[in-house]
Amino acid sequence: MTTLDALLLEKVLLLDGGMGTQIFARKPTLEDYGSAALEGCVDLLTERRPQWIREIHEGYFNAGADAVETNTFGANPLVLGDFGLSAKAYDLNVQAASIAKEVARSFDRPRFVIGSVGPGTKLITLGHVSYADLLTSYRVQMDGLLAGGADAILIETCQDLGQIKVAVRAAREAMAAAKRRIPLWVQATVETTGTLLVGSDISAVLTSVEPLGIDVLGLNCGTGPDEMHAHLQTLAETSPFRISCLPNAGLPENRDGQVVYPLAPEPFVQKVLHAASEFGLAILGGCCGTTPDHIRALAPGVAKLNPPKRTPTLERSAASLYQSVALKQEPAPLIVGERTNANGSKKFRDLLAAEDWDGMITLAKEQQREGAHLLDLCVAYVGRDEVRDADELLSRLVSQITLPLMIDSTEFPVIERALQRSPGKCVINSINFEDGDAKARAILGLCKTYGAAVVALTIDERGMAKTREQKLEVARRLHALAVNEYGLDPGDLIIDPLTFTLGSGDEEFRKSAIETLEALRLIKAELPGVMTILGVSNVSFGLNPASRHVLNALMLYHGVKHGLDMAIFNASKVIPVAKIDPEDRKIVEDLLFDRRAEGYDPLKSLMARFSHRKAAVVDEHRADLPVLERLHRGILDGEKQAILADVDEALRDHDPLKLINEVLLGAMKVVGERFGAGEMQLPFVLESAEAMKAAIKRIEPHLPRESNYQKGRILLATVKGDVHDIGKNLVDIILSNNGFEVKNLGIKQPIEAILKELEAWPAEAIGLSGLLVKSTVIMKENLHFMEELGLKVPVILGGAALTRAYVEGDCRRSYSGPVYYAEDAFEGLRHMQALVAGETSVPVPAPAASAAGEIKILHRGAASGPLSARGQSSWVRHEAPVPQPPFWGVRELAEAPVDLFEHLDAFALIRNRWGFSQGSQSDATFAAVLRDKAVPQLVRWKERLAAEPLFQPKARYGYFPVRAEGDALRVFDPADPERTLTVLPFPRQTTGRRLCITDFFRADQMDVLALQVVTLGQAAADHAARLHREDGYADYFAFHGLATELTEAYAERLHARIRQELGIAAKDLPGRALFAQGYQGSRYSYGYPACPDLEGNGPILDLVQGSEIGVTLSESHQMDPEYTTSALVAWHPQARYFSA
Amino acid sequence: MVRVHFRLEDLLVEAPAGTSLQAIADAAGADITFGCRTGSCGTCRVRVVEGLGHCSEAGPEERDFLQGLDAPPDQRLACQVCVHGDIDIEYLGL
Repeated sequence: MTTLDALLLEKVLLLDGGMGTQIFARKPTLEDYGSAALEGCVDLLTERRPQWIREIHEGYFNAGADAVETNTFGANPLVLGDFGLSAKAYDLNVQAASIAKEVARSFDRPRFVIGSVGPGTKLITLGHVSYADLLTSYRVQMDGLLAGGADAILIETCQDLGQIKVAVRAAREAMAAAKRRIPLWVQATVETTGTLLVGSDISAVLTSVEPLGIDVLGLNCGTGPDEMHAHLQTLAETSPFRISCLPNAGLPENRDGQVVYPLAPEPFVQKVLHAASEFGLAILGGCCGTTPDHIRALAPGVAKLNPPKRTPTLERSAASLYQSVALKQEPAPLIVGERTNANGSKKFRDLLAAEDWDGMITLAKEQQREGAHLLDLCVAYVGRDEVRDADELLSRLVSQITLPLMIDSTEFPVIERALQRSPGKCVINSINFEDGDAKARAILGLCKTYGAAVVALTIDERGMAKTREQKLEVARRLHALAVNEYGLDPGDLIIDPLTFTLGSGDEEFRKSAIETLEALRLIKAELPGVMTILGVSNVSFGLNPASRHVLNALMLYHGVKHGLDMAIFNASKVIPVAKIDPEDRKIVEDLLFDRRAEGYDPLKSLMARFSHRKAAVVDEHRADLPVLERLHRGILDGEKQAILADVDEALRDHDPLKLINEVLLGAMKVVGERFGAGEMQLPFVLESAEAMKAAIKRIEPHLPRESNYQKGRILLATVKGDVHDIGKNLVDIILSNNGFEVKNLGIKQPIEAILKELEAWPAEAIGLSGLLVKSTVIMKENLHFMEELGLKVPVILGGAALTRAYVEGDCRRSYSGPVYYAEDAFEGLRHMQALVAGETSVPVPAPAASAAGEIKILHRGAASGPLSARGQSSWVRHEAPVPQPPFWGVRELAEAPVDLFEHLDAFALIRNRWGFSQGSQSDATFAAVLRDKAVPQLVRWKERLAAEPLFQPKARYGYFPVRAEGDALRVFDPADPERTLTVLPFPRQTTGRRLCITDFFRADQMDVLALQVVTLGQAAADHAARLHREDGYADYFAFHGLATELTEAYAERLHARIRQELGIAAKDLPGRALFAQGYQGSRYSYGYPACPDLEGNGPILDLVQGSEIGVTLSESHQMDPEYTTSALVAWHPQARYFSA
Repeated sequence: MVRVHFRLEDLLVEAPAGTSLQAIADAAGADITFGCRTGSCGTCRVRVVEGLGHCSEAGPEERDFLQGLDAPPDQRLACQVCVHGDIDIEYLGL
């Protein structure tokens, strides 16, 4: 009989399509489920409606599938527990597998049954379920599937790295118990964000499951075939396992409250077959939205494919929840951060004693910043419960740190708990043969069960190996046990040939460095593939810090030359060998290589030479620094917690006013300079500001009564008609944390109100802000108004639509007081500093300003294209027929907030809203910032918003008959097309194409205008306000950006639906391109260049009845609550953004 | 000095070498719509018909963005370009 694996050698395997799609097509009733309480328990239908399941399997086999998946996606006790059906789990799996087998046997050629195991409803990585409970639950399911006769187990739709590892273990243990080995397949679900739900990229998945020895690693669900390409490519290049690919029929769309998958069989097949040949896929099929028709269409193409041949190369790696890190770094070595270690770091030990988990995580993050590739983690502390401490720390740490972990313990229960808490692939540190091999065997068993690498020390029953021969001998024995007996990949065995100190002068150890270095060379030569590691800093134990740095650096240097792959080392102390003084280097190398001579002992020379030298300060940890330096660093690094202790210490010996004026403000000045130079990004600046705020709060009670550290005052406001808060608030944050007193008047401030405030609260300057194009005009009007009152108070202007040329030209001409342009908050700060210092101007980046003056128009072509007889731009052609909407008038739409993330433009969020821009940073540095800061931040918010209902998205939209009349659109009553509801006027370009929005609508017949309004609800706006009030600057800024972008996402989603309904969605592009108007038609919002006048919002809200979903209009024509946006949708193929 | 020709409206502008295309377009009132002005919205996409080599090189962010759109190599985001020689451009928008 042909087995599944044998068949895979002959052909590309065709799996079935969606099961849920088929079941729901049968419209199950309460009767089918048995009761209202059981509604939605699809797995139960195996028992209650077995004939359906049979028919579905038959349908897929008849369509040409080689194998079908059982109806057991949620059939485990944990998921069934939600229906009170835990006890049925085993039987349902047996039945489902049996039914499928029965159907398979009724066909004459080999047909197989794949036992489907879904991800369940609880995420172990986020602590929703314990390791033990999840394992027990999966075990029941695996036992049932095996008993029912499944030909393979498929752990599919995996969203959580931790869950995959548990399920694989359950399957392995079930097979061992049943004494039946069947193929074990794993399929992950990569979301449109490019990672699994919990943030892991596909390489992290591969690295983590690879040691577990599965048979297939593929992708299913989440997206359509197009979005899977990058991840399939990674698997094609690196995965040693066969690759499966079961995409959805495209990205889901919501049509009239129904989820619809847009890809019909034809395009689906084309895309899947293309991916199959490009990436060497071995198993194909479909997921959500695919039907027997998709499989039938796929079958002939699959039959023509040959089994793929790939030559993948997989680097040995470790992985965190988020990413995979190669153990062989280029340049070597890989650095293991050593400070999260209770044995090695006093600071860590103190934090542990105080159970300051956040403090420990801060220490871990510091090492991440300093360039460590892996984190050594040791919580062994006499008198404390090490298992509990590991559990407590890791449960918090794993989602906050992007580095893989080295679990530093020799205690079996500690290691096991740590491995259960760590979703990625860890390294265990360490095993040895000190008391024979029993303990090493137990820990190697853990390596196999959990998929970990291991550090092995060259220690045996005789003690620590000191000569190169002994070291090699023990290494051989370690290799025989770990690789030959336990089946570890040699690359997962990391041998540590031990480092002894040269600082004691002990004759026994004089040649120990030579022996260690030579052992490295021998081990690498004799045991191919194994990795090596050293605790480098041991070499200098007992010497003074300055000489230790140099000795450590040279030991590391020579270690790498002798084959060292990894080093446990303080990453911040890596000093380039080239920077070591040649004389220092000679003495140190003489010590390393024991080149003593008559009357010359390099150890004595070294001690004499370094006796008065201090270690280079820049390379020191914060704890070793003088307190003022620590404060300075605390601001730069945004350590709002750690800085408080430093403030307290500094207050003992320093004048509080001086601390603020010199130390703290000095540090903020550096922050500003770094921001200006593009070396530091806005989110980090905000963290610095938070630290500043915390420090000042701490110092304030100590200030002498009359003293005032404030340098001056500024009144800030967003101008009339503009609700945009964020830019102004950033200015507030930066100025108030740089010693200025700020009165923030808020948004929509008429100039009269601002000036009235100025009378009551005299200030050095007024700062006006606004994002809208229209606000630039308002600013100029405000200046004119002030001029008429004869005022001279300086005014600083800032905002997205402003340009330096406009401010320094038009605006200055309107007002005889000083007018300054501030490109960002720090330029605003420089203006303020200059003003209070009595300077009249500050140096500004010159090029743009001076260039503007020299720009000359040499020729302007026939300025305007002719308008048509009907007063429309002749550039626009009216050829396409007007689409027919599915209904006239307006409707409400309500959707779950979690869906919004699927449409989120993460690129725009991170780069634009959150201000992560590359600036002057190198590609690698910036990539690291995105990886370590921006992406985890997004993941955290996503998790948080899933738990906390801050968004209540609501939307209304509809279709209206319209006709263009020159520069206006006449909107008719859908119920009575003779009756005019309103007339919407729009501006027209005065030159060039002379476009106006109305040009995209017919003037000679009735056309269709779609209108939409979406809001995230009042709670979101309240939350943003609260964060700002409570000085959570970084959170406020991040939340505001995210909410704004999610509002856009919602609008984008609704617009997509409108295109669907109008039948013009065929031109929608996949991926990012969609966010860049990769579709037919255009969506115009008031306040933007094509229709800058906000007053248009009034009629739009009236037409869509925005008040039904709580959206109202302020007197300045802004929509309330915040995070609301409305738009007019034009369907015309030439409709694009333009500036009127 | 360099010359920039905006095709859509046959507008020819002179500016000091090294000036940003954004400043030139703004000053001359050219028919180019800018959205975010930071290279992440794409509203200001242009095709450089001639003189691609006279444009400052695209940074990684702009490259990322344009790659995401599958844009051919002669397309740039006007807000990210500094002009070092004569160019002839056509506004595309999104």
